Amino acid sequence: MALEKLRMDHWTATLITIIFGLAGAGVFAIVNAIDMPYTMISLFKFGLVPSLAIIALVGAVRGPVAGFLTGYLGVVTHDLLFFNAIVTLTLPALAYGVLGLVAGLASYDFSSGRSLGKLSILSLVGLVFTGLLLVVIGLFVEQTSVLAGLGFVMLPLLTTGIPSVVLITPILARLWSVVEQNVQLPWLTHEKMDL
Amino acid sequence: MSQIVKQNKFVVSVLVITIVFAGMTFGNMSPPPVAMGMQTIDGTTFNFADYSALTHEQIAIVNYFNRLVVDQPLNEWDGWNAENYMWAIQYINAFTAYMFATVCETTPGYRTDLYEDHAYTQILKMNTTYADYNETSMEYYEWTSIPGFTDYHFPNATHPDADDIDTGGFRGPANIMWTGHYALMMTLYERNFNTGAVTDELEWYINDWELSLTTDRLGSPQPGGVWGTGLIPCEPYVVFVQCNSIPLYTTELYDNMYGTSYMESGMWDYGLAFIEENITDEYGLYTDGYFVQRPVGSGPNAESSPQEIPGQATDHLAGGPRLNSYGTAWALTFLEYTIPETTIPKYQTFLDAYGKDLSGDMMYMLGSYAYPTSFGDVFGILGTVFTMTLANQRGDYHTRDRMGNLLQDMMNSVWSVDGREMYYDASSLDSFLSAVLSGFTVWSGVPVTVRDLADARPTGFWDYPYISAADDDNIWVYQAQWDPDKSGFILNIKVDSTSTLTFSNFDSLPIAYRGGSQFAQLETAGGGDYTLSLAPGTYQLVIMEGA
Repeated sequence: MALEKLRMDHWTATLITIIFGLAGAGVFAIVNAIDMPYTMISLFKFGLVPSLAIIALVGAVRGPVAGFLTGYLGVVTHDLLFFNAIVTLTLPALAYGVLGLVAGLASYDFSSGRSLGKLSILSLVGLVFTGLLLVVIGLFVEQTSVLAGLGFVMLPLLTTGIPSVVLITPILARLWSVVEQNVQLPWLTHEKMDL
Repeated sequence: MSQIVKQNKFVVSVLVITIVFAGMTFGNMSPPPVAMGMQTIDGTTFNFADYSALTHEQIAIVNYFNRLVVDQPLNEWDGWNAENYMWAIQYINAFTAYMFATVCETTPGYRTDLYEDHAYTQILKMNTTYADYNETSMEYYEWTSIPGFTDYHFPNATHPDADDIDTGGFRGPANIMWTGHYALMMTLYERNFNTGAVTDELEWYINDWELSLTTDRLGSPQPGGVWGTGLIPCEPYVVFVQCNSIPLYTTELYDNMYGTSYMESGMWDYGLAFIEENITDEYGLYTDGYFVQRPVGSGPNAESSPQEIPGQATDHLAGGPRLNSYGTAWALTFLEYTIPETTIPKYQTFLDAYGKDLSGDMMYMLGSYAYPTSFGDVFGILGTVFTMTLANQRGDYHTRDRMGNLLQDMMNSVWSVDGREMYYDASSLDSFLSAVLSGFTVWSGVPVTVRDLADARPTGFWDYPYISAADDDNIWVYQAQWDPDKSGFILNIKVDSTSTLTFSNFDSLPIAYRGGSQFAQLETAGGGDYTLSLAPGTYQLVIMEGA
């Protein structure tokens, strides 16, 4: 039952989950590298970070493990590719994985507005956990200042992340369902047969 | 259609909100990158990516500084938001001048009055005297307003006899924090514009430093000079590595420009050795000051006086020598030309000691690593921006960008109505930082480094064709330089409204090429100059002398 929830109850399902996680990580790394516009109002940063929605989307589409892999490996890949940096034993990347993990805990019907609303809420919850974990890791592992942790990690993550995951995730999920309904994706067909 | 909307009410709603929300954040959208391209003319290929270039934003920030520098009297600093920081205005002026020198070198073939006036005015603003401007002068802000400074002597501070040196003068010998910057600004001006206007004054300072560093200033040679350190104090009683790195660098550049041999004479050798032996911490990184005399009263930095003098400035709260990242980064940047074998290995040590990771794409520098959980003070921010410039010089663009990402999270870019000027608004932290962060953003982003500027112009440079006049207010010059090997002038320019450029030093009628084909023949002007008129648009031109 638990493995089914994780979408890993069968070797094919496991493989597809991992592939989803890896592909999601790649897409995340690329999208996250795109400079997004933002605006500062005092110390509050407002803008959209679509890459966060990708983590939540993969979690919603393919379950918590795929979502976790997308966040974790996506951040690691992005940081390595674009900044040649692995920080604090990849613990911050782990925090981003939690976003996908939480979003993937429920099952959704992407054609239903109510279900998409649930996805928004769970993505928001996942993001809050991500923010809290980032601050805890910063304060107790990297030992940054409280001001830096709260003001320049937690705060911008929430002010840009909340609108991103709440608004963009359901849009992407709806688009995904349209694609799924209209395009015969071989791995999905194969999985359905297997399951 | 309405059926689709009805079935997707939630998605349509969030889509509309997303579009509205996104539309409110587009103020900080970066301009598109400058177009490059490649063209072949008579078998010679010019790849614009091979030549240094400014970005649109960098030029807009330079335009912002140009207004602040040139468009007001020498003793006024409106727009710098420095009301509470007038003691620091000389540093802002000087470091902005160094940033500007790298900008000039990035487009060395664009030398109209716009850039030259800017550089020269910065020098004049640095040198406003009490006699002319009273309490709005640089001399006042920087020296005479500080109680007791003008009375200092060495070694007996306030009761001198015939063997004590008068160190209370604004122009030295113990005010290297001003004389060093002032002289370097003049040296860079001469390097970039070759007018000869300030050469004599410059020479006086170099000779005066040599006197202080190699003699007792009473007529006899003395190892280590007046203060026995081979270095020159800022406040009359304390020497700093970072402040001395400026006159040292100036001496290198002066030698390179005028063929003198001050460096070879060893004038700074004692000081360089002294620094490594006496003004470093356990990691070999530079510390923040070395007292050569006990300050009288409560002068600047007096709270850091060590128990025994001479000795390193002390952090009495944390214990050990006083530390700061901005001074270390500054010194590593300016000393690299002279002692790369010493400074380059310190770079990674410096990042390890002072750097703090916030995430994979963000980091900052501690003001002092003795306070590992500090953040947000001016010294930490200065340490971060100075390290960005150092990282740029070291070619460590990842580190530079990680720090830049943090700063971006503090600021909006503010464009003027006409789109010609831009600055970063740091008023959420302190308005004073707006100019600071704007300047350092350019300085750490241009392809020319401090180390590059220590070399004089190449032989024959002053005979190369260049843009000597232009309708500067209507153009954006991203690339402008003569390629002596291919005998072509590279010009990458955006024209807002029809403008004329005047070129000097072409030996015969030049022809401008665009996309490898002839675009225009320049018009003959008086005095051997040629003009080119351009309609609004963006151009990547190669200009070559005709047959």
